[in-house]
Amino acid sequence: MSHEAREKLTAVVSGRLLAGWEIVSVVISALLAEWVVLSFFGRSRWLVVVPIALGLGLMLASHRAYGETAKDLGFRFDNLPAALRILFVPTITVIVVMLLLTWLSGNSLSFRPSRSKLLFLPFWALFQQYALQGYINRRAQVIFGRGFASVLLVALLFALLHLPNPVLTGLTFVGGLLWAAVYQRYPNLLALAFSHSIAAFFASFFMPPSVLNGLRVGFKYFG
Amino acid sequence: MKEAANTLVRILIAKSVAETLLVGVIAVLFFLEAFPPFFHGWGEATPRSIAGWVVNDAAPWDRVEVQIFIDETFMGNSLADRSRPDVVAAGWARDQWHGFEFPSPAVEPGEHEARVYAVHAGIEGTKRTLQLIGDPIRFRRNADGTLVDLNSRMIR
Repeated sequence: MSHEAREKLTAVVSGRLLAGWEIVSVVISALLAEWVVLSFFGRSRWLVVVPIALGLGLMLASHRAYGETAKDLGFRFDNLPAALRILFVPTITVIVVMLLLTWLSGNSLSFRPSRSKLLFLPFWALFQQYALQGYINRRAQVIFGRGFASVLLVALLFALLHLPNPVLTGLTFVGGLLWAAVYQRYPNLLALAFSHSIAAFFASFFMPPSVLNGLRVGFKYFG
Repeated sequence: MKEAANTLVRILIAKSVAETLLVGVIAVLFFLEAFPPFFHGWGEATPRSIAGWVVNDAAPWDRVEVQIFIDETFMGNSLADRSRPDVVAAGWARDQWHGFEFPSPAVEPGEHEARVYAVHAGIEGTKRTLQLIGDPIRFRRNADGTLVDLNSRMIR
């Protein structure tokens, strides 16, 4: 192997290692927030800004290092219609299956609106999609390239962050697969956030709290 | 790109250190909230009861709730609000109302072990923890119901 080829290989391998380290680091920040801070300091919830700020700081620094623009990440309108079109059928299908399974399992469907949650939902969905696709998906593609492996990794990590809530873990795994695959084809975070908001709206406002255990994750799931 | 990658590595290391410190601080704060090291007390077997005293140094005028377990089985709870002038005289408390007393427990004659715990409710009241007061109290219950403190016999 020539010196030039060896240097190129080293750069690729170290680039993959770095991307893997970045993913692990951001996932740790999220796990710290939900399993440690929110679980043990319910009253001092503001402490959660520390791991979130650390994770967010890393993501912003990383975008700068990779030379990624907001448009690259998916904050754009040019591919919005195409992304919404491709998301429409799967999103509706997931919602129908979700509600059907709830109904078939003997649980009643009832609408329980909450204005504050309703207003908060799109922003929370956009933030999650930004972290999941605009950051983790892009770094997963550095490791595995475009395709099933990187999509699966994104879905697994998204599901991991919703443990130990079994229903939510399953739903986020399915959602993660769908959104990661669509992002790789049409990188548009606004469309993904819209799909995410609609799915979360039906899950949190129509499905009974006993099924989703109040959307609790981390230690809080246990009470 | 190489310089940018180096910067990113430095940021990742700094973030790891900051998170390790955060976890350390949270662990200490959680321990202090769940198991505050402010309870002092003592318990012993008297001929007719398991008795002792307990003070919460963080709230010296409060009366502490105590629970008794005999042979690891919950046997009862009480408020440590009985008169113990000897505790004030020894400088352990600011007032005398910190004593507790559990009547001779209904257990089989023979040797047993009692543990008296101070109950601590967390700030939000959603969780309660128990802290052992003094040492486990080893005692023998005689057929007539009287108790003999085996700890003090060992000391002698």
